[in-house]
Order: sequence, then structure tokens, then C-alpha cells
Amino acid sequence: MVSFLANTLRTTGLNIKANRQVFMLSVATVAVAFSILGLFFLVHANLNALLSTWSKQVQLVIYLDDGISNTRLKALKKLFDDNEHIDSVHFISRDSAWKNFKSTFAEKSGFVAGLDLNPLPASYSLRFKEGLDRLKHIRQLVDELREGEGIESMEYGEKWISKFENFMIFLRFFILAVGGILGVGLVLIISNTIKLSIFSRREEIELMLLVGATHRSIKVPLILEGVVQGIGGVGIALGLIKLVHLYIKLQFQGSLESIFRGADLQFITQSFLWPMLLAGVIIGWVGSLISINQFLHSEDRR
Amino acid sequence: MIQVFNLIKTYGGGAPALADISFSVKDGEFVFLTGPSGAGKTTLFKILFGGEKYDRGQVLVNGVNVGKLSEENLFFLRRDIGVVFQDYKLLPKKTVFENISFAQEVIGVPSKTIRTRTWEVLKSVGLTPKKDAYPLQLSGGEQQRVAIARALVNNPKIILADEPTGNLDPEISLKILNLFEKINQEGKTVIFATHSLEMLRAQNHRLLTLNRGKII
Repeated sequence: MVSFLANTLRTTGLNIKANRQVFMLSVATVAVAFSILGLFFLVHANLNALLSTWSKQVQLVIYLDDGISNTRLKALKKLFDDNEHIDSVHFISRDSAWKNFKSTFAEKSGFVAGLDLNPLPASYSLRFKEGLDRLKHIRQLVDELREGEGIESMEYGEKWISKFENFMIFLRFFILAVGGILGVGLVLIISNTIKLSIFSRREEIELMLLVGATHRSIKVPLILEGVVQGIGGVGIALGLIKLVHLYIKLQFQGSLESIFRGADLQFITQSFLWPMLLAGVIIGWVGSLISINQFLHSEDRR
Repeated sequence: MIQVFNLIKTYGGGAPALADISFSVKDGEFVFLTGPSGAGKTTLFKILFGGEKYDRGQVLVNGVNVGKLSEENLFFLRRDIGVVFQDYKLLPKKTVFENISFAQEVIGVPSKTIRTRTWEVLKSVGLTPKKDAYPLQLSGGEQQRVAIARALVNNPKIILADEPTGNLDPEISLKILNLFEKINQEGKTVIFATHSLEMLRAQNHRLLTLNRGKII
């Protein structure tokens, strides 16, 4: 077993050395393709972080009818207090809403200061507990209250959150599609590189078959060569993306902090990092296996 | 032991390369396989070592039904057969010693055994002084002796020699023939393909003659 492993590693090294240029070209192609994919992942990770930051600040504001009864007001309060997903309930009466409004806008407009009637409704401002289901719980409560008595309207920025969520779903599908297309392309590129590697060692492999080498002993070094190409390419791609990440961080630190509201610019998350490496292994494996099998089937019994 | 029954092989619907041939070769026998170019000698060898599929018939080599072997299991058959070609098929970037070692490395022989066995076969073909030479630095006869050493090194039971003297002058050819006879005396079955009358006259061995795919 040890001698098989040593032989395999030695043969793989010799193969790579013999086809250095083609090997490097293939690794570079994998690196470019995975860099493109990785940049999409980077964008996805950061938009996701942004969505998460924004959704943390989402609160549900329930505007009440002016003529709402005290009983209904108490019933609503009880309903909110009993909801285990709600973190805090804050009641703003019509008077305090008007007071706040005036204190904010009076300096800017004399019209507001001189206004006698109060056009603002009373409201409940609800903060929900943190968690992945926060938006779901908000939506549930909104659905429950939609046709309810005493409620004028509800506001929690649903439209833009929905649009953003839909965009994230689109982005995920887009990444999958781009990843799929790049993946097929890379399989073909690695397959051709291995084909060249086989071609350059054709006489040797023919002899190996003739003297009774097993298919395994021929396949394993070539598969390893493909896998090294895949992993090497992904490794370089991750390095390049990290550089881009650092560059953006250093250059746009101030603007980013204001966009992300204090949160840091994300690198590719673990949930994308490992699949990227795995994809490199699989692409290298499948690409080389296609060429090896083609060769062995044509060579063994022509 | 090699047994061939009603073997038929056709390429692409043309005239059969081998047309219903049957013969057997006993263990330890030396057989000349002769016939003009295109008679089917190389095709027959390829079928014997599993390098070619056939249309009909049965081929048994050391009791193994060659037609029933899957591609993955052909190595079982091939480890029992040493093949020598007219064009030697040596690896030009490897030395004589490495060419012979290579045949053992690829089937997983331990490195200590590889060194000992390589020395032994180099000695038996008289090439020890040339162990570090590259094939292109050798004469045709020497290259063929390297190829023979490589075929012998894994101790196969059968040696298939496909026109091994086709590129050599008559004097060297006879020396190579003598080498194969020595190998045969050590107990190996040898099928020696040639269309040289001089070779056939030189020694008295059983003759299998192929002509247009038939044994005559």
C-alpha cells in the first residue's frame, strides 16, 4: 500500500512535470472561472449580511383608528404581550406622536408649528426577537390583524424587504446557473488537459497495460493530477478573492461602515468555501476520469 | 497451455483476418508461427494477450477464457504473458535498467526484488555493461535483447514474439532466436512469429503456418 501510494505520487509529479505548461494553463483557467464564481459568492455573502442587518432593525408599526375603544386597545396590548416572538411593545398616543413630530419639524417649517389640529394617529411600535424567522413572525401577526377592528394601517417596510428577498433568491439561482455552466466548461478543459497528459505518455501507458498493470494503477495518478488542477485552481481563486476583499475593505472602509451600519465586510462564508473546494475536487476528478476511461476502453481491446 | 477453437476475427465487414482457425500449444513448447505479411499473425497474438476482441470461437490461455475476461481483469492474463515486438517498444527516455525495472514497478513488485530481478535478466541476455545506456544508443540487436529482458522479468509462462528479428540482420537474428530457445529450455512456452525462411530452416520446431487468415 505504501509503495503504491509512493508510486502514485511520484507518477503524478512526473506527469505534471512533463506537461508543466498545459498543467499551469489548466490551473489558471480553473482559477479564473472560480474567481468569477467566487466574486458572485462574495457579493451574495455581503448582500445577505446587509439584509440580515436591515431586518434586525425592522419593527412593526400599527397605526390605530382615531375612534378605537379602550377595550380594543387593551385587547391588542394583551395580544402583543402574549406573543412570545415580540421583544418589546411601545404605545405612542396621538398627543405624543404629534409632540414628537412637532419637535422634529417645527424648526424647519413654520406651518407645522402653527397647525392646531393633530392629524397623526396613535400607534403601537413592536420590536420582534432576533432570529431567522423574525420576518415570518411579523408577517403572521400582520395577517392576523389585517382585517381587525380599530386598525388603520400597518407598516414594516414589507415591499422593499420582499423585493430584496426576491433579488437574493434570483442571485442564488444565478450563481447556481453560472456555477453549473462554468463547472461543465471546466470539466471539459481538465478532461482535455488529462488527454494531453495521457497522449504524452501513451507509449508508457500502453506498455503498462501490456505487462499487466491494473486499471487502478493507471487511473489513480491521472485522477490525482486532475484533482490537483481543480484544488490548485480553487486555491488561487480564493487567494485572488481574498485580495479583492482586502482591497475593497481598505479603500472603502468609511462608506462600507455606513452602508452595513457597523457590520464588517464579509469574506466568502463557510457554506460557500467548502463547496467551492469540493467542486474543485469533483471537477478535477470527473474531468480526468472521462479522458482516462475513453483511453482505457479504446486501448485495451481496440 | 494455449487452446484456440474455431477462431474468427473480421475487421469492418471485410475478408476475415482469421478464418475459423483451431490449434493448441502445449506448456513448454516452442512453435514457429509463420506466413506472409497480412496473414493474421499479429492479430492472433493480440487476441492471445487480450489486446483485440474476436467475433467467434474460443481462446483459452492457461485455462483462462480470454473472451470472457473484462477489461479490468485483463491484467491477470497479461502477467502470464511476455510480449516482444519487432519495433522493440522501449521507452526512449529511460535507461536499459529503468526500462526493465518499469515493467516490474507497474505491477507493484517491491523495489528490492526489482533490482535483483533486473540484474538477473540483464545478465541472462548479456547486457549488464549497457545498463545505463538509453535505447537509442544501442544497436537493433541490443534493443531487442532489452525488450526480451523486459518480457522475461516478471517471469511469465508464455512468450509471444511478434517478428522479433524483422529489423535485424541474419547473424543477429540467429543469436536472438538462440536466446528465445534458451528461454524455452528454462520451461517457458514460446510462440515465435517470423516469415524468414532462414530462421525456420535453422531450427527444427513445430510450425504453424497462417495464410489469409487460415492455418494451412
